[in-house]
Amino acid sequence: MRFRGKLLAVFALTVFVSVAAVAWIISSLARRSFEKINAERTAALVAQFRRDFARQGEEIERRVDAISSGDTALRMGLTLSHGAPDYGTYLNEAKTLADNQQLDFLEFVDSQGTIISSAQWPAKFGYKDASFPGESAPKKAFLKREELPDGAALGVFATGEVRLGDKPLFVIGGRRLDKNFLASLELPAGMRAMFYQNLEGGFSPRLLIDSSGRTQAADPITPLIEEIRRQPRETTRLVHWSSNAADDETIDGIPLTGLDQQLLGILLVADSRQPYVELRQHIRSAALLSGSAGVLLAILLSGWAASRVTRPVEQLAQAARQVAAGDWSAQVAVTSSDELGELAESFNRMTRELIEQRERLVQAERVAAWRELARRLAHELKNPLFPLQLTVENLLRARQQSPEQFEEIFQESSATLLAEIANLKTIISRFSEFSRMPQPHFQPVQVNELVQNVARLFQAQLHAGDRARIECKLELAEAMEPVAADTELLHRALSNLVLNAMDAMPQGGVLSLRTRQEEGRACIEVSDTGVGLTPEECERVFTPYYTSKTHGTGLGLAIVQSVISDHGGRISVRSEAGRGTTFMVELPCNADKLPAAGEGGSSSGSTT
Amino acid sequence: MKRTGFPLLVASSLLLATLASSATRPHYGGTLHAAVQAAPSSLDPNQPDHFGSRNIFGLIFDTLVVLDDQGRPEPALAASWQAEPGDQRWQFSLRHGVSFQDGTPLTADSVATSLRAVNPSWKVLAAGDTVVIERDAPAPDLPAELALPRNGIVKRESGKTAGTGPFVMSQWEPAKRLTLVARDDYWGGRPFLGSIDIVMGQSLRDQMIAFDLGRAQLIEVAPEQARRAATEGRRIEGSAPAELIALVFARPPQSAEEAKLREALSLSIDRGLLNTVVLQNGGEPAGGLLPNWMTGYGFLFPVEVNMTRAQQERAEVPKAVLWGLDYDRNDALERVLAERIMLSARDAGLRVQLASGASADAKLVRVPLAASDAHIALGEIAKSLGLPQPVFHSSAVDDLYVAESTLLHSQRVIPLLHLRTAWAVSNTVKNWSEGHDGSWRLVNTWLTTERP
Repeated sequence: MRFRGKLLAVFALTVFVSVAAVAWIISSLARRSFEKINAERTAALVAQFRRDFARQGEEIERRVDAISSGDTALRMGLTLSHGAPDYGTYLNEAKTLADNQQLDFLEFVDSQGTIISSAQWPAKFGYKDASFPGESAPKKAFLKREELPDGAALGVFATGEVRLGDKPLFVIGGRRLDKNFLASLELPAGMRAMFYQNLEGGFSPRLLIDSSGRTQAADPITPLIEEIRRQPRETTRLVHWSSNAADDETIDGIPLTGLDQQLLGILLVADSRQPYVELRQHIRSAALLSGSAGVLLAILLSGWAASRVTRPVEQLAQAARQVAAGDWSAQVAVTSSDELGELAESFNRMTRELIEQRERLVQAERVAAWRELARRLAHELKNPLFPLQLTVENLLRARQQSPEQFEEIFQESSATLLAEIANLKTIISRFSEFSRMPQPHFQPVQVNELVQNVARLFQAQLHAGDRARIECKLELAEAMEPVAADTELLHRALSNLVLNAMDAMPQGGVLSLRTRQEEGRACIEVSDTGVGLTPEECERVFTPYYTSKTHGTGLGLAIVQSVISDHGGRISVRSEAGRGTTFMVELPCNADKLPAAGEGGSSSGSTT
Repeated sequence: MKRTGFPLLVASSLLLATLASSATRPHYGGTLHAAVQAAPSSLDPNQPDHFGSRNIFGLIFDTLVVLDDQGRPEPALAASWQAEPGDQRWQFSLRHGVSFQDGTPLTADSVATSLRAVNPSWKVLAAGDTVVIERDAPAPDLPAELALPRNGIVKRESGKTAGTGPFVMSQWEPAKRLTLVARDDYWGGRPFLGSIDIVMGQSLRDQMIAFDLGRAQLIEVAPEQARRAATEGRRIEGSAPAELIALVFARPPQSAEEAKLREALSLSIDRGLLNTVVLQNGGEPAGGLLPNWMTGYGFLFPVEVNMTRAQQERAEVPKAVLWGLDYDRNDALERVLAERIMLSARDAGLRVQLASGASADAKLVRVPLAASDAHIALGEIAKSLGLPQPVFHSSAVDDLYVAESTLLHSQRVIPLLHLRTAWAVSNTVKNWSEGHDGSWRLVNTWLTTERP
């Protein structure tokens, strides 16, 4: 990934993470705040329920007191004090009084709990009220389970007493704790109250009601009710009514107990989480919007930053590539005084120093080359000059000899002089040839064919009887693409490598010639199994006039390197002491250097 | 002083005598205001819900025969009748000088047409001044059957009805109000009342309010409220027990064990307590379907509670089935009775719960006695309760007893109470009388001018 892409990714990621973090923090704070408000609202509702419960209880107490002090209760009390009452007389009294006082439950019972008149179950006259608390009935309102013909119900009850003799008459009145009671609770928006009447041994959904009547779906709330039924204490649960989170409710269950502390009902205060879900959705939407805007802004910022930051870096990278390609004159513009500016300045200084060092090195190498040339010339010329000197000195001494002897010596000396002069000419022509290395004339060349020609050329020498036998092995790749090269120069270079290899194996050995295709390049390897080269020799082996041999001018491998270099290729050497040396030549295909059609007509048949 | 004192004394005596005699002597004219719960939508006695409307129809329509308080047939539109041997063919001689309210004379043809419309299975023939009725089977109780309100003689023309009764319709708002005017040409003599204004579809509570406000002089009173109404100073007139309250099972017992459980349920119910407390003595405990006054043998059917035996019967059955008990939710009396039955059953170890509709195994029902004739009444009760029709081989009481016992032994029905029909009657209404079955007899009733 490019630096600009990385910069964009970092910017976008930073913005995204920041927005997400802010959204999460806000959402968490909102949730905590909502839960706190929810808890406060629930507490307020519970307190309201208790106040309403107490108020209802006080209202019921007042109404029961009114009935207890009324004429009917008085007559009933008088009748009771005189003996068993006539149930028929009072059969409908309780019902009438209950209707008048707007009570759901009203019973007149004697001290034994025998029902004299009942509003909720008129036919129960003469029966005993099993839940009658008797003389110990509390003065305040209390919660009680009441048996009815069609089942049981819960109610808030209060008791009154009429005592006209030794047989007191008790008045037990109450109101049903049902949907009407729930409807009377003033609930804030988003809250609702439900009531579970714990009238049966197990959980029954039909006993769960809300202010509108029966609650249809009780399954999600069942675990909460079951938990409170097992352990009657206030419990709060988050209830999921559907897959939609907006339907979730936080439900607080409050156990309601009767006189004997038995669990009679559970008040369930539900607070809708819809406002919180909506708030959370708003936060998410805002975060998504700001995140998108942030990412867009990050793109713009990264573009701007690229123009300010990455462009100098890219210029540096481009300049570095130029240096790597050999153009040491590459320079970058210094546009700022920050670290990038310092880096550009340093780069420019580095290239300048590189050029200076190269020039110094070239100069040094040039001096060294001249010295080496002088040394080699001196050495080469010294060898013929010494015989010339001796021959001339011999001629001078021969003048004192007889003419016949002088003639004989003169003839011999003249031949020697001519031979040595010829030798001097040869030496001079070689140096002249190196200095006049021609530019390659590119043509399509089949590498395998070229290698085979070279091997064929040296076949006789390899098997010559005056030297140890050298075996030639050809390992040629099957599919070699033609390369653009100068056949003659390349043939000469390969011949030099083969000659070099033969010189390296005076005791005989194996000469290997290999070819292979490698990523659009043709590779040629020439290996011998000689004694090998030292690492120092490997480094200097291509230096002109350097030779590790006792004969030769030291120009062979320099000529090879020059030829390969003129073809855009490169040559390297790999050697291992005692195992031999391998020269590796890499040639580009150089398709662009081939003459256009019609231009190279004269090159046909030049692959020999 | 002596000369003037005597005439004053005589005049005063005459005035007092006049005032006294005006209260006891029949007085023509005046409008009797009545209120009833029944709300007939037409003035045709041949309609299913004729029990509640029979007093209204009795004012407009006559029958060939009427029954006295002992259930014996007496002449009405038929002056005499005789049955041929076998009691399948009866011949009724019509009274002369009877006319419908539209002025047309009563003929044998009109009588035959009216009876055929109500009794399609009968073969009714008109022959001169006589009407011949032929039945498929012996019908010894045919005169009593002809006394049923539905067999009132009706002249039906163009959707309108006319009868031969003492009153003629003057104003009619179906199911709401009916005003009747006395007929001067009534064959039994002109009624004393000038007219009767009947407000229909009134609840008992509204009737009582209208009565107490003086807007009604004759209203219905629930039997369980009669005692209180009387205690509060109202004039309450009651009939003999004329309505049956019974517990009817939807199906016969499916096993001997279920029959035993039904027996236990019957034994657990304290009918006496129901009568004294719930009904306020507005009826009688019922062991049989027909009241004792009608049959004379009603006391033979036990009515006493026997909880011990009920528990024993229950204990003999391994498991008690759960019975659903239905009742009329608009009837406060039935509600109390049903709830008490549930308590009694619980005491006996039985399982009864209140239910409604098809889920109920048994139902509390109220059946007014259709006639003073026991045979007719028992047949109508069986019909109303969905029981098999009783078979009578004769009109003897023994035969009636066997038929009723057969119905009871089927254990489809548990009789509970016989209710009286009660009326609150204003003190301005004089010479009030009613039949044993609670039917009005207003022909000889008159109104005084005193304020109620």
